Amino acid sequence: MTRTRGSRTGAMAVALVGALLATACGGPAPSEDSDDGKVSGAIRLLTPIFEGADGKTVLEKQLGAFKEKYPDVTVEVDYTSYGKLNEKLTTSIAGGRPYDVMLMGVGWIPPFAAKGALAELDESKQDLVKRYNERVVEPGIYQDKVYGLPIMLDTRFGLYRKDIFAEAGISAPPSNFDELREIGRKLTVRDGSGKLTRAGVDILSNDLRQTFLPLMWANGGELWTADGKPAFNSPQAVGALQLMTDIIRTDKSEDFGFTQPGATGLPLAQGRAAMMVGHNNHLLAIEEQAPELVKEDKIGFFMIKNERPAMFQGGTLATVSAKSQHPAAAKALVRFLTDEQASLAANEQRGNVPALNSLADSEYVKSNKAAQFAMQNLDAAYSEGGVPAWLEIRGDFKAAIESALLGQKTPQQALDELTAKAQAAIAKG
Amino acid sequence: MKPRFDPRLVLHLLLGVGAVVMVVPFVWMILTSLKSRADIAAYPPQLLPDEWVWSNYQAALDYAPFGTYFRNSLFIAIGHTVINLMLATMAGYALARVPFRGRTVLFMAVLAMMMIPTYTKIVPQYLIAKGMPFFGGNDYLGRGGYGWLDSWWVLIIPGALTPFAIFLFRQFYLSLPRELEEAARIDGMGEFGIFARVMTPLVKPAIATVALVTFENSWNNFLWPLLVTTRDDLRVIQVGLAAFQLAERTEWSYLMAGSTLATVPMIVLFLFAQRYFVQGFATAGIK
Amino acid sequence: MTSTLESVSVASASRAPRPPRRRRLGAERRRAAYLMLAPSVIHLIWWIGIPVVATFGLAFTNYDVIAGTVEWAGLDNFREIFADDIWNLSIWHTVVFTFFTVPVAMAIAVVIAVLLNQQIRARAWYRAAFFMPHITATVAIALVWMWMFEPNLGLFNLLLDWVGINGPAWLSDPDWAMPAVILVSIWKGIGLKMLIYLAALQNIPHELYEAADLDGASGPRKFFLITLPLLKPATFFVFIVSMIDAFQVFDQVYVLTPDGGPANSTTVMTYEIYRTAFGEFDISAACAQSLVLFAFLLVLTVIGRRLTGKDGDEA
Repeated sequence: MTRTRGSRTGAMAVALVGALLATACGGPAPSEDSDDGKVSGAIRLLTPIFEGADGKTVLEKQLGAFKEKYPDVTVEVDYTSYGKLNEKLTTSIAGGRPYDVMLMGVGWIPPFAAKGALAELDESKQDLVKRYNERVVEPGIYQDKVYGLPIMLDTRFGLYRKDIFAEAGISAPPSNFDELREIGRKLTVRDGSGKLTRAGVDILSNDLRQTFLPLMWANGGELWTADGKPAFNSPQAVGALQLMTDIIRTDKSEDFGFTQPGATGLPLAQGRAAMMVGHNNHLLAIEEQAPELVKEDKIGFFMIKNERPAMFQGGTLATVSAKSQHPAAAKALVRFLTDEQASLAANEQRGNVPALNSLADSEYVKSNKAAQFAMQNLDAAYSEGGVPAWLEIRGDFKAAIESALLGQKTPQQALDELTAKAQAAIAKG
Repeated sequence: MKPRFDPRLVLHLLLGVGAVVMVVPFVWMILTSLKSRADIAAYPPQLLPDEWVWSNYQAALDYAPFGTYFRNSLFIAIGHTVINLMLATMAGYALARVPFRGRTVLFMAVLAMMMIPTYTKIVPQYLIAKGMPFFGGNDYLGRGGYGWLDSWWVLIIPGALTPFAIFLFRQFYLSLPRELEEAARIDGMGEFGIFARVMTPLVKPAIATVALVTFENSWNNFLWPLLVTTRDDLRVIQVGLAAFQLAERTEWSYLMAGSTLATVPMIVLFLFAQRYFVQGFATAGIK
Repeated sequence: MTSTLESVSVASASRAPRPPRRRRLGAERRRAAYLMLAPSVIHLIWWIGIPVVATFGLAFTNYDVIAGTVEWAGLDNFREIFADDIWNLSIWHTVVFTFFTVPVAMAIAVVIAVLLNQQIRARAWYRAAFFMPHITATVAIALVWMWMFEPNLGLFNLLLDWVGINGPAWLSDPDWAMPAVILVSIWKGIGLKMLIYLAALQNIPHELYEAADLDGASGPRKFFLITLPLLKPATFFVFIVSMIDAFQVFDQVYVLTPDGGPANSTTVMTYEIYRTAFGEFDISAACAQSLVLFAFLLVLTVIGRRLTGKDGDEA
C-alpha cells in the first residue's frame, strides 16, 4: 500500500466515523412537550442496584408510589449491574440516548460532571447537610455544585471474631497499627508443616484498593494535596502500605494467595481468620455461611485507627442527565429515590448503609449491626474519587499494592510509580 | 508371541481418564448447585452436599423471569443458526469453488473481520443499530429515533452471520474432489444446483459443527443483548445468570443451578449433532 | 434472500439444456458466485466492516465518548499506549499465551479426534465429554480450577507434597499464574478443535486407508502419511481461528486471575483494551490498541497461510 493511499484511507475512515457519530447523536430532538413548569413525561432510569427479582419487586413497589405522586410521569427502568454499568453508560451517551436518571458510584461523579454529562441538581450543600452527614454529601459534589444525591453507602471497616479474641484473652480490637500487627501475629495459627490454618488478620478478602485506602486515611494520609495533586506516596500512605506488607511478609499473619475477594467462603466465617478489613455487606455473607456466628453475637466491628479512626465510604448516587428532555420529572425521581421510604427499601434489600441521617433510627438499621456501626461512625468516613481522572487512576492501585505485598517493590517505590502514573493521567485530562 | 490383550482396553482407559478430567467442572457445577450456602462456604470443600438442596433450582428460577429469558435465547439462537447456515454455506462455497478476480482479497477480508476485538467494535455497532434508517422513528438518514434498539431485529440480525462460519465452510468445500462437480456439470446442472444438491450434502459434518458453534455462541452471548435492550422482556438467559453475581457477593448455588439448566440444551444439541460425524465417505479411520 | 435463491435457480435452469462452453461457463459461474456472496458481503460490511473501519479511524482521533467530541490526534494514541508499560507487558503475555496454548491444544485435539473417529463403544459420550469444557460455564470452570490450584489443599500442591516439593501459590504467584492460566486454556480449548478435526476426518476417503492396510502400514504411519496431509485445510482453519481466539483471550483469564492477575502478571491485550475502553472511557486509545492486536494477527495469518502451503487451494 502506498503512502498516499494509506492516508486517504485514514481520512476516509475519519470522515466515516464522523458521519456515523453525527447520524447517531445529531438527530433532531423529538418535539415532545418541554413545559418545565409541569412535571410530566416519559423518563428512563438506569440502575446498577435493585438486581434480581427481589430488587425489581422492591423498586417497582416504590415506583408505584412515585406514580401516585406524579401521575403524568412514566418511568422505564433498565436494570444492569455495577459490572456492566460503564458499558451501558458509554453506549447510551455515545448514542445520544442517555438515561434521564442514572444511578452510579462515588467515583463516577467528577468525570461525568466535568464532561457536561450531568445536570446540576437544585440542591445546595447547606441544605443537604441538614439531612445527611457532610461526608456523605461530598462525593455528589463537583466544583461546588451538587450533581448526585446518595441513596446508599458501601462502607469498609474492621470485622473480628469475638470468640477467637476471647479465647486468646484479648479484650478489645486493635486501636492502632502496632496493636493490629501484634494481635494479628498472636492469633495466626500454622500447622506442623507450616501451612497457614488461621490468618491473624485478613487483608485479602476485601478489594485491595479499598483495604489500602482506609489504612492510609487512618494513618493520617490523604488522596490529594490541598491543590489537588496526588498525595498517595506521602509518608502516611507509604506507612499504610508498609503495614500491609509487614502483615504478609514480616509477620506472616496471612499468606498472599490465602484467599481473594469474592471467594466462595469468607475466612472470617470459616474460622480461618481472626479479623479482617471488610465490607458492611460481609455481615450478610457471614449470616448466610455460618448463621450461628451472627446469632451468638460472635462478630464484632472496629474502626481502623492509627493517627485517627477511618472508614472507607463508597456508595450509590442518583444523578440526572444533562441531556434529559424532562429534567423536572427526572429531578423529581431523584428526590423520590433518595427520600426516606425508597432509600430505606433499597438499603434493606441489599443489606447496605442508608445515607439519610434520619434512617439511623429505622427498624432495619437497628437490626443490622454492621449498618448501625457504620452510621455511628460516619464522621470518620472518607471517600475516594474527587478528580475526573479517578476512574482511570483507580485501576492501577491493585497491581501497585500487590507488587509491594509480593516483595517486588518497596512500598515507597510502588506508590511513587503509582503517583507518577496518576499525575500523567490527570495531566492528560 | 504377542501377549493376548485387547488394545481397545488401553484406549478406553486413556479416553476414560481424559473424559473424567474434562467433565469434572461440570459435575462439580451440578453438585454445587445442590449445596446449601453453608456447604458452599465450607473449607476444605466437600465433594457431596451435606444436605441435598433441590429447592435451589426453584429459587434460582424465581430469581428472575427465566421463562422469558429462555424463550428469548432459544429464539435468537435458532435465528442465528439458521441464517448463518444459509448465508455462510453459499459464501463459503463461492469462495472455495469459483475462481474470480479478488477472491483472495475477499477471503482475507473475511479473516480480517475476526481480528478486531468485540470491545472496540461494540460502540460503532451500537451506533449503527441506533441509526438504522426508517426504523424506530428514524428518518431516511437514520436520525430522530432509536432505530433498532430494543427490538428483535437488533438481537437477531447483527450477530446472525459469522466470518468463522464462512471460513469453515470454505475450508470444507475446498477439500471436496473436483470430479464430483465436473460430473454434475456434464449432467447439465447449474452452479447453484451443484452447490445445493451435490456439494453441500457432502459437508454435513461442517454444517453440524457450524450449527453447534453458532448456537452455542449465541446462547452464551451476554454483552450485546444487554447493551441494545432496556426492557426485561427482551433480555436473554446470560443476562439473567449475571444477576446472581452481585457487587459484593455471589449467589453461588443459584448461579450453578441456573448455569446447569442453561447447559442442558447445548449437551442435547451436541449429542444430536455429533451423529453427523459419521457420514460422508468415512467409516473407520485408523485402526 | 429468497429472491437471490430464485434468481440463481432460474439462471441455472435456463442454462441447463445448452452444452456448456468454457468461457461462458466461467462468466455464469462467476455470476452465481457473486449472487451467493452478496448477502454475506452486505451483512459483513454493514455490521463488521463499518465498525472495523471506525476502529481504524478512531485510533487516529481523540474521541471523548462522554463529552461527545472528536478531534484529529495523529499518532498520539499510539505514542500514549506504547508509553504504558502495562500495555507492552500485556503484548508479551499474549504472545506467550498463544505460543503455548495453540500448538499444544491443536496437537492433543487432532489425536483425540482420530481416536474418537473409530468405531468404539460409547463414542458419542466420549466426544461429548471432551467437548464439555467448551460449553461449561466459565465461572464453574474457574471455581473448580481455583480449588485445584489452591495453595494449601489444592490437588496440585497435594500431589507435589507427596513427591516432596513445596508447591507455589499458583494463581497468586506472579511466576506461576500465567502457566496455570495456560494449562486451563489448553484444557478448555481442546473441545472445539477436536470437533472441527472430527468433522474434517469425515471427508477423508476410506479407500486410502484400505490401500495403506494392504501395504501393511502401521497406525502412526497412516496418521502421518494420510490423515495429517489430508487435514491440511482443516489445520489451517484451526490454526487461524485458535490464534485469533488466543490473541483475544479474556474470559478464563479474567475469572481465574481478575484485574490483570497478581501484580499484572497475567494481563493480556484484550483485557487492557477492555479496561481502556470501558474502565477509562478512552475509546480512541482502545482502538489504537486494537489496531496493534490486528497487526499481530494479520502478520501471523499471512505466515500461517505460507506455512500450510496456501491451505490446499486447488479448486
